[in-house]
Amino acid sequence: MKNLRLYHIPIAYMLVYVLAILATGIWLFLLSQGLASSDIFGTVEQIVLAPKAKSFHSFIEVATPHMFAMGTVIFLATHFMLFSTKISKKISLFVSVLLFALAFFNISAYLFISFALVVSGWIKLLSLSLFVLVFLGIIAMLTFSL
Amino acid sequence: MKFLLRKDLDHSTLIAKLMLGVSVALFFYLGLDLVLHGYVLGFDMGSISSTLYGNAEEFIEPILIDTLLLQVHIDLFMSLFSIMIIVSIYIRLFSEKKSSKSLVHILFILGLLAPEVLILAYFTSVLFVYVWLASFILWHLLAMWMSLHSIKRLLFK
Repeated sequence: MKNLRLYHIPIAYMLVYVLAILATGIWLFLLSQGLASSDIFGTVEQIVLAPKAKSFHSFIEVATPHMFAMGTVIFLATHFMLFSTKISKKISLFVSVLLFALAFFNISAYLFISFALVVSGWIKLLSLSLFVLVFLGIIAMLTFSL
Repeated sequence: MKFLLRKDLDHSTLIAKLMLGVSVALFFYLGLDLVLHGYVLGFDMGSISSTLYGNAEEFIEPILIDTLLLQVHIDLFMSLFSIMIIVSIYIRLFSEKKSSKSLVHILFILGLLAPEVLILAYFTSVLFVYVWLASFILWHLLAMWMSLHSIKRLLFK
């Protein structure tokens, strides 16, 4: 390969794009829970106490594109760990698999609320926070590897 | 990207043909994306302003922030993938050119700037609509030019 260093540029920009996608995604979720009429803390409290009711149809509408999009974004981001010489393959594998599992948990978390298996929205907040946290971890690992 | 890096193009016609196919598909995608955004937001400044801020005389309501944010969210995802693929192929074929590095930087910056500025325009002023329009059209044209360049190299090497 003639100029492998050039490939560091798209990888670095990809991390910024992913952060922007995560930020707009969280913003969209909070808007759907009433952010337009109250502040962030009020909205989070609202999600914990009484999350907005969502039909199975609305759930499918949100879950379907996210299954594809989150799966491919995770694949895109984590497959760059194959190039890393600073982080072991075992750690990369563990974090990647964990991220896929958390994405699946995050997408399906609202099902528990839709089917009234849980009353509080803590499950959605927990899954979202864990997913974002581990994704930030992968981004940090990639940044360290660049 | 890993797949694009591995094979030597001279010894694998398959990867060369695959790169050609995806470049052609992305070239048409980018053209159609320009038209699609024209239909969604408007083809001229007047209609874009009406979509974003509404128009009391014509009884047009401004676009809901949820709708606009969803569009931006999708745009970021689509531009990430399209730019990543175009850039990976371009670097593979033109890594020896000095301008490649600058072109890659410009494309990524414009691609990221466009959706961010659209949100900014919604909350601030019509001035940012001009910035959005310029960055959106420029990144599409630049990406189309880069994919066209890759197609030419792959076809007539």
